[in-house]
Amino acid sequence: MSETTETIDLTLTRVIPATPEEVFDAYTDAEQQKIWFSILDEEPGVVEIDVDLRVGGKQTAVWGPDAQTLFREEQTFLEIDRPHRLVTDSVGWEPDGNSMTTRIVVTFEAADGGTLMTVHQSGFPTPEVRDFFQSMAWAGAFDRITAYFRR
Amino acid sequence: MVQQQTLDRAFAALADSTRRGILERLGQGPATIGELAEPAGITLTGMKKHVQVLEDAGLVTTEKVGRARQCRLGSERLDDAMAWITFYQRLWERRLDGLEAYFTLKRGIDDDTKGTEQ
Repeated sequence: MSETTETIDLTLTRVIPATPEEVFDAYTDAEQQKIWFSILDEEPGVVEIDVDLRVGGKQTAVWGPDAQTLFREEQTFLEIDRPHRLVTDSVGWEPDGNSMTTRIVVTFEAADGGTLMTVHQSGFPTPEVRDFFQSMAWAGAFDRITAYFRR
Repeated sequence: MVQQQTLDRAFAALADSTRRGILERLGQGPATIGELAEPAGITLTGMKKHVQVLEDAGLVTTEKVGRARQCRLGSERLDDAMAWITFYQRLWERRLDGLEAYFTLKRGIDDDTKGTEQ
């Protein structure tokens, strides 16, 4: 196929008020994840998290408002460099069974006020698709996403 | 993984500017192959091929109306693609908001117990 295979990359950053070691461990530890993953939920739902933190190991997260509506993400660890960098392949599943694979690179850097956490996710649709969305019925959706990821 | 393949086909179909032009035109309403071909400045045969690619990708549906073939937008695949961006947007919002709240809360508790100033 001679078509372009260029993809959209999403980058987002956030300063978390803790040291890189604390943030890295909280981000990767199953027990801590169970706490912070649902810390802002107003209603209790389903959250199951399993982590096998080694290269080639998997992290599985299953969540949703109830057992009938479950989302699922399975990340496979490709690179583990505590507390600096984590590279994974992510497969996401929606409740209807559709799935999509993307690459995620997360870095943790000491910053004023804590740790600058940067998430870079690649493998999304082509820029042409994004432009198409913007010009059609989905106008504004990508603006909102970009605004969020630049926050 | 059938869904992934259809999605790949949809993205490949959209990588061509002529085909994106067709979708934009169909966004305004259905059109025949002839009505699509003329403003695009390409032959009927060429337009049929482009429409076929879009139809295979699930982006367009066609039906025979008299002697012409009527094309209309079938946006199911685009909805699928958009759903993935939304899926990960929500997931990251949840993760970063959760981590931030977790440590903000922890820090607050530590500060209280130590009696240090914020």
